[in-house]
Amino acid sequence: MRTLLIIPFILFFSACTQEQPKPNKPLTEEEKKFTFSPAGQLVPAKSGQGRNGDNYIYAPGIRFPIESAPAYLNSQVYGIGGLYGARGSLCNEKNYQYPWHDNYCEKRRWGMPLCSGGKGHQGVDIRTATCEKNKYYAVAVEDGIITYIGKYTVKLRGKSGRTYRYLHLDSPSVLVKKGEKVNRGDRLGLVSNNMGSTKTSIHLHFDIKETIKINGKSTKVYVPPYTSLVDAYKRLLRGNP
Amino acid sequence: MRRLLILPLLFGILSADSGILDIKWPKPNAKHLKPSTPYPKVLTEGIKDVRLPVYIPNSYAYIKNMVVIADKNFYTISFPFKGATVTISGDRTYQESVSNKQEFKAILKAIPPVTFQQEEGIMTAEFNRHGVNYSMEIECDKPQRDKRCTDTKLIKELYSRLIMVGGHP
Ligand SMILES: [Zn+2]
Repeated sequence: MRTLLIIPFILFFSACTQEQPKPNKPLTEEEKKFTFSPAGQLVPAKSGQGRNGDNYIYAPGIRFPIESAPAYLNSQVYGIGGLYGARGSLCNEKNYQYPWHDNYCEKRRWGMPLCSGGKGHQGVDIRTATCEKNKYYAVAVEDGIITYIGKYTVKLRGKSGRTYRYLHLDSPSVLVKKGEKVNRGDRLGLVSNNMGSTKTSIHLHFDIKETIKINGKSTKVYVPPYTSLVDAYKRLLRGNP
Repeated sequence: MRRLLILPLLFGILSADSGILDIKWPKPNAKHLKPSTPYPKVLTEGIKDVRLPVYIPNSYAYIKNMVVIADKNFYTISFPFKGATVTISGDRTYQESVSNKQEFKAILKAIPPVTFQQEEGIMTAEFNRHGVNYSMEIECDKPQRDKRCTDTKLIKELYSRLIMVGGHP
């Protein structure tokens, strides 16, 4: 199996060597502005212990889950106006700035085997360009099938076998149906503050669940999405999502 | 040209570290697989291609408005109720690449055979049977107030009543 898998890479690299490099497109204003703190470095520090130094890209090649840039990945709970954050409006402009801050493994009550202490946030929270609900689309990160639509949840099972969960989309705006096949980049619904009867802040909670197998034993876990999203966002800014 | 080059790269990325789990097939219970009152078509037709044991709570087997989404390597079945949806899914696909194999080995060792908990307002059960990983979830319209989502009682009960209704090697 593995030897077969090498073939596409050989094809790819050999084809690459034949192509003359094109001059790089100059950086856009948004690319110049974009900065991000390291994976696992949670801000503020009291918000929890991330997976420091884990720079592995768990879902390589995915599309960024929000259709358009800019988007701001940072804590909802510990950000300005959040439950444990500084007093102020959730729409404070400081919440809508770079750098990005990882918030996978941020303090939560529920079990998460990959977080130190065994508990934490199973995904990351992402703010849209502006503090307006029902304006920005969440999109499919990979070709796949919609396996579930709940009150505030949309689940996409990608061809890779990974399951991507999108929380807090505006229910009436959801454009897909259970069982529908979607392509990478297809619109799913509008980012909102929907959490059933309880409202949350305007953001997309995005997580990646996959089965990992080591030495014949397997389990299903939420893997760190931050590095995959930094990579995807850079491609989005480059105009090559 | 560039577009053409992306195809083998994507193929490589998507398949390089994924695989299909081996299953230790259980002894089938004839009563569960072929009950005296046949299961509704939505269930039997929906899971006919599934190549892993298909579990659902026994009391849900005749719910006609269940939604089945499946192919040979996974299934997801949702049961809509007033104010809440129960979902069960099983999946044979796995990824082998992780950042640190030693760490992940230790994590795998420490994970209990079944866990019940509420996360993001959703009550969940995670378990492994016959080498396959399954999830059961209850999502409530009122996640902070509905006992089905705040208390583990219902999910534990559903877990204790799982029966294998299909799937084949
Ligand atoms: Zn979140």
